[in-house]
Amino acid sequence: MKQIIIIAVIAGFAALLPLAIGDSPYFIGVLISVLMMAALSSAWNILGGYAGQYSFGHAAYFGAGAYTTMILISKFNFNPLVGMVAGIIVACIIALITGSIVFRLRGHYFGLASIAVAEIVRLSALNFDFTGGAQGILLSDVSLWGMDLNSKIPFYYGMLLVLVFTLGIALNLRKSKTGYYLQAIREDQDAAASLGINLSFYKNKALLISAGLTSVLGSLYAVYIRFIDTSAVLDLRLSIEIILTAIIGGVGTVWGPVLGAVLLVPLAEMLRSNVIGDVLVTQGIVSENSGLGVFLKGNLAHAHVLVYGIITVLCILYMPKGILGLFRRKK
Amino acid sequence: MIQHLLHINHVSKHFGGNVAVSDISFSVDEKQIFGLIGPNGAGKTTLFNCISGFYPVTSGDIIFDNRAINNLRPDEICHMGMARTWQRVKPLGSLTVLENVIIGAFSITNSTKEAEEIAIEQLLAVGLSDYAQKTAGSLPIGLKKKLELARVLATHPKMLLLDEICGGLNHTETETILGIIREVRNKGATIVFIEHDMKAVTAVCDWIVVLNSGEKLAEGTPQEITGNPEVIAAYLGGGHNA
Amino acid sequence: MFFIQSLLSGILTGGVYALAGIGMSLVFGVMNISNFAHGDLMMLGMYLAYFAFTLLHIDPYLSLLLIIPTAFLFGFIIEKVFIHRIIHHPHQNQILLTIGLGLIMSNTALLAFTSDPKILTTSYSSSAVNIGGISLSVPLLLSFAITAGITGILFLFLSKTTTGLALWATSQNREAAQLMGINVAKMSAIAFGLGTALAATAGALIAPVYYIHPLAGHTFLLKAFTICVLGGLGSVVGAGVGGIIIGIVESMSSTYLSSDWKDVVVFIIFLMVLLLRPQGLLGKKGEQ
Repeated sequence: MKQIIIIAVIAGFAALLPLAIGDSPYFIGVLISVLMMAALSSAWNILGGYAGQYSFGHAAYFGAGAYTTMILISKFNFNPLVGMVAGIIVACIIALITGSIVFRLRGHYFGLASIAVAEIVRLSALNFDFTGGAQGILLSDVSLWGMDLNSKIPFYYGMLLVLVFTLGIALNLRKSKTGYYLQAIREDQDAAASLGINLSFYKNKALLISAGLTSVLGSLYAVYIRFIDTSAVLDLRLSIEIILTAIIGGVGTVWGPVLGAVLLVPLAEMLRSNVIGDVLVTQGIVSENSGLGVFLKGNLAHAHVLVYGIITVLCILYMPKGILGLFRRKK
Repeated sequence: MIQHLLHINHVSKHFGGNVAVSDISFSVDEKQIFGLIGPNGAGKTTLFNCISGFYPVTSGDIIFDNRAINNLRPDEICHMGMARTWQRVKPLGSLTVLENVIIGAFSITNSTKEAEEIAIEQLLAVGLSDYAQKTAGSLPIGLKKKLELARVLATHPKMLLLDEICGGLNHTETETILGIIREVRNKGATIVFIEHDMKAVTAVCDWIVVLNSGEKLAEGTPQEITGNPEVIAAYLGGGHNA
Repeated sequence: MFFIQSLLSGILTGGVYALAGIGMSLVFGVMNISNFAHGDLMMLGMYLAYFAFTLLHIDPYLSLLLIIPTAFLFGFIIEKVFIHRIIHHPHQNQILLTIGLGLIMSNTALLAFTSDPKILTTSYSSSAVNIGGISLSVPLLLSFAITAGITGILFLFLSKTTTGLALWATSQNREAAQLMGINVAKMSAIAFGLGTALAATAGALIAPVYYIHPLAGHTFLLKAFTICVLGGLGSVVGAGVGGIIIGIVESMSSTYLSSDWKDVVVFIIFLMVLLLRPQGLLGKKGEQ
């Protein structure tokens, strides 16, 4: 109950945020990215954190939502919401195929197989014609119920809604039979089976919930950006970013993924838009014309993945349970 | 007329070329406390793994509650009313003691509230109530064994398979566990248990089967078994834990 | 004719893949770790060969004499500084750590060498020998010969020297090896050093016939995994055979299907193996 109130308070605060910061598309854009990564990571967490089944291929479900929606809108002029529902179905079909292969495997094999499935999806989207191949799909215009979809505001609220929904599911699961069963599977599969838990049923259930939510976010993202290609929505890097966000915040906790996204996404955004380099130069810490200044201006934008790598290594070595893990009470 | 609850019919289990269990047959009656003993490597745990669905049998049949269960998964067998514990205890380490038992109770209910009630009751029965909120991984071995017991009792089994539930425990702890086992039987459950400790077995068992090198060496009442020279020879020759 | 041409060039490329796969399998066998930085180590080998050639004017095949010890040392240090600290952690943490290390390597390379692909052109890069109508690329033939040589030496090392036998014992049973007085921590560092050296060698060997790019490791990583799984994770001989099979599959699917789909075919085979024979083609049953 306490947790539900926290969600409500934070959601209410977030809902008012655009009014406070006013008409800044840039900031709204960053906030949308934060909400999206928080929701993606929370959805992954249901499978990876609760059930302990680390999927390294969640980009496949994000891409399934994005591609299905974009194809239906651009080729058949469907309503984006229909595209979203169709996306969920496609993602769930991929999930069922994946589940039937990978959940028979344990340990190293599960991670490897989830990557292989995601790569097959990515390479297929890259090589088929109806997915736009290497060019991807560009959408010139989209409409829903007369909303102004050129503004970022509807997408902000859309992402917020999906995040709240995802957190609600995550919270609700934790105290339900399914949630307990997933945690039992994470802790010890043999013990779980001996206590009457149908391992493959519950793993598949977690995967389907996770994949469906991820696909919804893919659909929303695609309509928001109006352009997708395989490197934007199906890349292995996206799968890894989703995991890192959860790891850094705290795997298996409800709030870890949200915390991870709040910290990591703005950091990545600052590096990408070179805010840090600009600040160093304008503050006179680094001379603009010095070798370092030129290098920072030219290259720091590429460095955000490098920073992710460094954070990952430090995180695994020094706080494998994430930031929330540091504060968890010891029983 | 006495019902056979569990019937093991010419069961063998091979791993590659190694024969772990060879052509074993016996029956367990309802409300019996049934002991399965033998030196290390006799095939006791392997047989348990076959009965509880973790290993497929190489040949033979396992009949439980009038149904062949050879090809069922462990979770299906649990739902039929057979629950097992593990020789090397398997606590769900980062969950609390109470949550561990709740997970057991979910096999007979879908409601979290009911599962919690059943769990609290079972913790009380084994004397773990004070530890309900501790993480299972942090318990000492004696309490972990009790947790194993509470967790399977929460599934309300018709038959309990206990794999060295008293192993590594001191005399008082063993006595407590044996007391719980008798009580569970008095409430109507059937118990099969594997034990090294001959004293514990003879103290509670109605009937004993002795395994040696994967084969059945003898069966009978505790008195018959303790007086059987072949059994004594097997224990002195093959095992040092007797 | 097409068929034989395709088969032979598949075998030749497969030999180089096999080297990368053997390196990964060795690390897995001894340390029980899936090394997700393996592809990036291969990429570093490509750049080492490239710079040895452009800056020091050393022939890429000759530069192996420099690359192998350098890479071994690099891998040895990486193991001592990072990997050994997580050797008893859950698999997913090991995977994430090596992913992190790989990201650091590839993105440092991106900053240092830019994203422009480099091409290593030797005087014989595009030459080929013609045997009865079948033309075989000279660099690939040389690579294959060197691969065969290195594999042979590795095999002798593992089966004849004390250190090699200790490595083998550690991969069979880490606890037992420790009880027998083998320094398993040192074996891990040696294995990771060897794995790195093999990856870098494979990278250097493939450099003259491939685009050299900071993110090239990605493709090779997944290929190396497929090879290991095909051969049975941890089996050195299996990885060798797996490499050749993957080389042939790729080459055949390029010839008869389309080069765009060759990786898809490889991954489908990967999943089929996981599904039907998870212990690998040469692995013993029940080892998953």
